[in-house]
Amino acid sequence: MTDPIVSAMVFYALAAFTLVAAGFVALSGNIVHSAFALFATLFGVAGLYAYLSADLLAVVQMLVYVGGISVLVLFAVMLTSGLDGPLTSNPTFRLGGGIVLMLAVAAAAFVAATAVPSGVESAAVPTTAAIGDALLGAYVLPFEVVSVVLLAALVGAVTLARGYKGGHR
Amino acid sequence: MMDVPVSWYLILAVTLFGIGTVGVLTRRNLLVVLMSLEIMLNGVNLAILAFARHHGDAQGQAAVFIVMAVAAAEVAVGLALAIALFRHEGSVDLDRATRMKG
Amino acid sequence: MLTNLLAIGPELVLTLTVVLVLIADLVIGDRPARRGSLAVLSFAGLAAAAATFFLLPDGGPAAFGGLVSGDGLGVFFRGLFLVAAFFGVAFGALSDEIPVERFGEYAAMLLATTLGMSFLVQSQNLLMILLSLELVSLPSYVLAGFRRGDSRSSEAALKYVLYGAAASGLMLYGFSLLYGMAGTLDLSAIGPALNAKAAGGSVGIRAGIALAALLSLAGFGYKVAAVPFHQWCPDVYEGAPTPVTAFLSVGPKAAGVAALIRFVVIGFGASVATPPAGGLPWPVLLGVLAMATMTLGNLAAIPQDNVKRLLAYSSIAHAGYLLMGIAVGTPDAVQAVAVYLPIYLLMNLGAFLAVMAVRAKTGSETIADYRGLVARSPALSIALAIFLFSLTGLPPLAGFIGKFYLFAAVVKAGTPFFYVLAIVGVLNSVVSLFYYARLVKAMFLEASPDGAPAVLVPVPVGLLLAILAIPTLVLGLWWSPLADLAARAAGIVG
Repeated sequence: MTDPIVSAMVFYALAAFTLVAAGFVALSGNIVHSAFALFATLFGVAGLYAYLSADLLAVVQMLVYVGGISVLVLFAVMLTSGLDGPLTSNPTFRLGGGIVLMLAVAAAAFVAATAVPSGVESAAVPTTAAIGDALLGAYVLPFEVVSVVLLAALVGAVTLARGYKGGHR
Repeated sequence: MMDVPVSWYLILAVTLFGIGTVGVLTRRNLLVVLMSLEIMLNGVNLAILAFARHHGDAQGQAAVFIVMAVAAAEVAVGLALAIALFRHEGSVDLDRATRMKG
Repeated sequence: MLTNLLAIGPELVLTLTVVLVLIADLVIGDRPARRGSLAVLSFAGLAAAAATFFLLPDGGPAAFGGLVSGDGLGVFFRGLFLVAAFFGVAFGALSDEIPVERFGEYAAMLLATTLGMSFLVQSQNLLMILLSLELVSLPSYVLAGFRRGDSRSSEAALKYVLYGAAASGLMLYGFSLLYGMAGTLDLSAIGPALNAKAAGGSVGIRAGIALAALLSLAGFGYKVAAVPFHQWCPDVYEGAPTPVTAFLSVGPKAAGVAALIRFVVIGFGASVATPPAGGLPWPVLLGVLAMATMTLGNLAAIPQDNVKRLLAYSSIAHAGYLLMGIAVGTPDAVQAVAVYLPIYLLMNLGAFLAVMAVRAKTGSETIADYRGLVARSPALSIALAIFLFSLTGLPPLAGFIGKFYLFAAVVKAGTPFFYVLAIVGVLNSVVSLFYYARLVKAMFLEASPDGAPAVLVPVPVGLLLAILAIPTLVLGLWWSPLADLAARAAGIVG
């Protein structure tokens, strides 16, 4: 097993990387920068998943979010702004609201940290088999319903985005 | 690997969630708002996984698996709307979408 | 396994119908009978789904290991949603706001929303609640933005998506905290676990439960359009095509109310008759929300000139009345909510159908264009007046019975807070008379503007108006069958 100190250092580095990238997404004035920072954020979160012994989910995060969603977002950015057009997205960050929100987050963080006693953790084990069991056993209904959600979203997205012939209706 | 207590993950998760919320509330570009929403949901997923780790429970991981699919569906609809909006407004700026008031 | 499948029989049939409608839409193509045949297919699917109610396992056991509950509350509302979907499809088929070449997509999206609502009311598990809430939301975003090329419609969809996604994010965070503290996603286990924790817990635990509960409320509050999660509602109702507005104002709202009952009353066991659940004074919390919601809805409705917008604020006010019932949380109150919602469905759908008929002829939704409508279309005016007075809650119309049950349950709670709540509710009903009557006055007492077109109601629309108006009259005088059904939904009788 790795040295605990090294392991902790890597965690802090990963956490800092994720937070900085997330901050960049939310605050950067340049939408292309935001999109790439999103890429980095999702990547960092995947690393954190691996730390939480969610090995399968770390891989899924890479495939679905990093590989799928962020590329989709990039496409949308390119489609809607045009490379030579203005890329900035009007930053209207209000300081007062931001401070209130930060305080709320700090309070929520305090609550989150104290509401759960940090007891002894169970050993990290691969969970892929357990997830498979859950999805085809106890959670078979949500697993099937999610496919209906995806179908509805697919048809809906096509319905919304498809071009329409002529005039206004 | 678990020298970092679960509460650290929870604080990290809520911070991510907060950053996402700031983005959703303050940005006026639809695409950036959608990206910030993704960060919110990633924060939540991280929290669920931390709790699942705490309880030593695969249920939570299965739930995250499904939440990811739902988030993907939400993004798909959101981006489709962005494209539709851009098509007849020429912009994805939310400040322009203020025809109806009162 | 078979019992499990039978328990979700109506949902299986609905899923199949969604797929069949999509396929049939492709197969039929541009043939002339496109709209009619797709509508008939949807109606057949809804009827088949209704027929499977007779196959539901007796005694309402929980299916799929407790993910979904087969109790009376779920069965009652699933039936109600099929009715809402019937009218939704019928309105869409009769409206020129839904172009014929896109009617298949409209029906499929509407049925998918119904499927989500149907799962939502029986979900006993946080994951299932989240998932079915999304299945309600995603197709309804699409429906709200259904008029392509109409910027008001895309603006409606935009606001719906953004508020909806943010609300579901907040709710999901609340759910994650609930899961963290209770160690399970099962609603029936979370309530007791949290009640036990709150009883002997530290400040941190109590704050955690409060935060989780409030965040979770965001998701439900958004669906029922309760203050402070109501801002999307007027814009979406105004911008969406009228059949969609009609459906959204009754379907997803009723689903949100039912899910909130399951979450708060059944999950947490909250009611005025029990000690604070999870350390939270739910009755007072929801009571305050109810007061804020109905007061804001009614006051904001007064200056409106657009009828759809007026009805949107009126629907916010009605969400407030319904929240009163959830706040009380006793079986009587749940019965009152279950009496109120079908009546609300009839009168609200009726009002929107009348708006749709006027819009089809005049192209307008403003009150000014309703002036002198009685001379141009007497039957339509009388029907709309019936729906509006019923929405106000005047006897002898059905709306009065709904309000009577609700206020009786609130007064029966017997604490000073609930007396105040009841008084606020009555005052609000008086305020609501003001704006409903303004529309009636315009129709009956004012002269038509010059050159206003006659509003001839097509036969199918007239038929639907009658189907909605007659029960609105009859239920005001003879309501015991509905009250019995509602009592069964509330678990008062088995």
